[in-house]
Amino acid sequence: MVLDFLQSLSEIELVGGLTLLSLLIGGIIMVVGITLARTVRLLFTKYYAPKLSQDTAKNFGKLIYFGIIIISFLVFTSSTGVDLSGLIVAGGIFGIVIGFATQSVVSNLISGVFLMLEKPAKQGDSIELPSLNISGTLLYIGTFSVKIRQFDGTIIRVPNESIFTTNIRSLTSTQVRRSECIVGIAYKEDIDAAITVIRKEIRKTMSYVLMVPKPEFRIKELADSSVNIEILVWHPREDWVEVSPKLLQVVKKALDDNGIEIPFPQRVIWEAKD
Amino acid sequence: MTNETSEKIFSNYGVYEVNENLELSFPNTEIKIERIGKNVFSYSRNDSESNLVKKIIPTKSNDLTIEISPIRPLNYPARRTSYMYLEFESPVFLSENSAATVFARCPIEIGVFLLHNEHKNPLDWFTCDPLNSRFGLYGAPDSGTLCKYSSSEIAESYEDSIPFFNAVLEINLKNELDSGHSISKVIFPISDYSVYYKNSKAIIDSVNAIMKKKITLEIFDVSSKPIQTDWAKSPTYEHTIDIKRIDMGVD
Repeated sequence: MVLDFLQSLSEIELVGGLTLLSLLIGGIIMVVGITLARTVRLLFTKYYAPKLSQDTAKNFGKLIYFGIIIISFLVFTSSTGVDLSGLIVAGGIFGIVIGFATQSVVSNLISGVFLMLEKPAKQGDSIELPSLNISGTLLYIGTFSVKIRQFDGTIIRVPNESIFTTNIRSLTSTQVRRSECIVGIAYKEDIDAAITVIRKEIRKTMSYVLMVPKPEFRIKELADSSVNIEILVWHPREDWVEVSPKLLQVVKKALDDNGIEIPFPQRVIWEAKD
Repeated sequence: MTNETSEKIFSNYGVYEVNENLELSFPNTEIKIERIGKNVFSYSRNDSESNLVKKIIPTKSNDLTIEISPIRPLNYPARRTSYMYLEFESPVFLSENSAATVFARCPIEIGVFLLHNEHKNPLDWFTCDPLNSRFGLYGAPDSGTLCKYSSSEIAESYEDSIPFFNAVLEINLKNELDSGHSISKVIFPISDYSVYYKNSKAIIDSVNAIMKKKITLEIFDVSSKPIQTDWAKSPTYEHTIDIKRIDMGVD
């Protein structure tokens, strides 16, 4: 009875040699293909993904899933006996049109592939894109774009092409970072004494500043109104917020407490005698 | 269980049972535990930086038992590393093929543990010496290892630690090279080392440090050596993690 039913289906032709039976078989192939794709992706996510970086694991998962579905589709088309030559010719012409229209999409896709291969930064790294004026934590390198959580909490999506062609400054690739500030003292003040009091205050109050390498002091400039001292301190990479924004405050307190003048710009005007 | 100093009496390390109230005093730090209800206690700590830590502790039994003990100096100002960088105030010179043993002071922090069903749960930690709890980098900024840093004085014996501020550890130095070298620092993963206490004194497992050749490089091979002692062993405060071993270079 089932055979009779299938026989009857094979006799119903829809279009161009495509029968209802071959469509049914094709449908079964697609269902099996999708189920297989999901199962393989699940197994990959469970057993192999933990050994890879999150970005690579996600993209491999997508590649496996869509790869199996595409193969299933090809099996489906070949099993149904549909003649795809016309579709291929039409697809070729359509592809050229689409190609011109979607240059940036393809460019982002290719850039994404190269970003995944080159790995200039990994998920969770703090990065800065100076030319785009973007800095934050890298959340995800996707097929077409990168997502970054900026330090103000907002999430920004940057096309892969922009990332690939710009400079990337990694803020967390080393264990330590350096913060700097410049302070000016009056010309009448003793430079060594000023450096000593600043060094003591940093030592006393800034627990995240490294003892080795020691804080460094450079005379940056003999400026119009002041002798400018540059102060460079190292700290653990995670603790920029504990050091950099507070450094000038600590330096000013040290100078104020010790009566060392921080001058403001002054101009002395001499009146010429007749 | 108290230790008298010339200025103030401080509490000792050890196990304390609390029925109603308990006040403990350490340099720059005060701890108060008070019963606030049936089977409920409050814990509060004031430290030298005016931080106030308060916790409510419900208990199954009528009493509360805590242990105060020295712990590895890895928590202040934040947990960032498992390595310790001890820089000797005076370098030790070792001539070729010689050995020496020195005792050095290493900073500690103090842990407060809640004793419950023979488990020791970390409740709180503090340092009595925040000014000398700092970081240092061993190596170059682009590839170095972040460590807790301390300038270390050479001590005379295990009894020579400064209560609540530091512990004494034995460093067994050996030079297997063909020439003499000065040793000014030792870097080691302190999470591999146990801390022991008696009254207000503390000691740490020994360090074996051997200067030797590894293929063509001269390295300073540092490893831990557990000590046999009747001092009480401190519980571990931090979560233990596997850390990468690094080779020190010879100065």
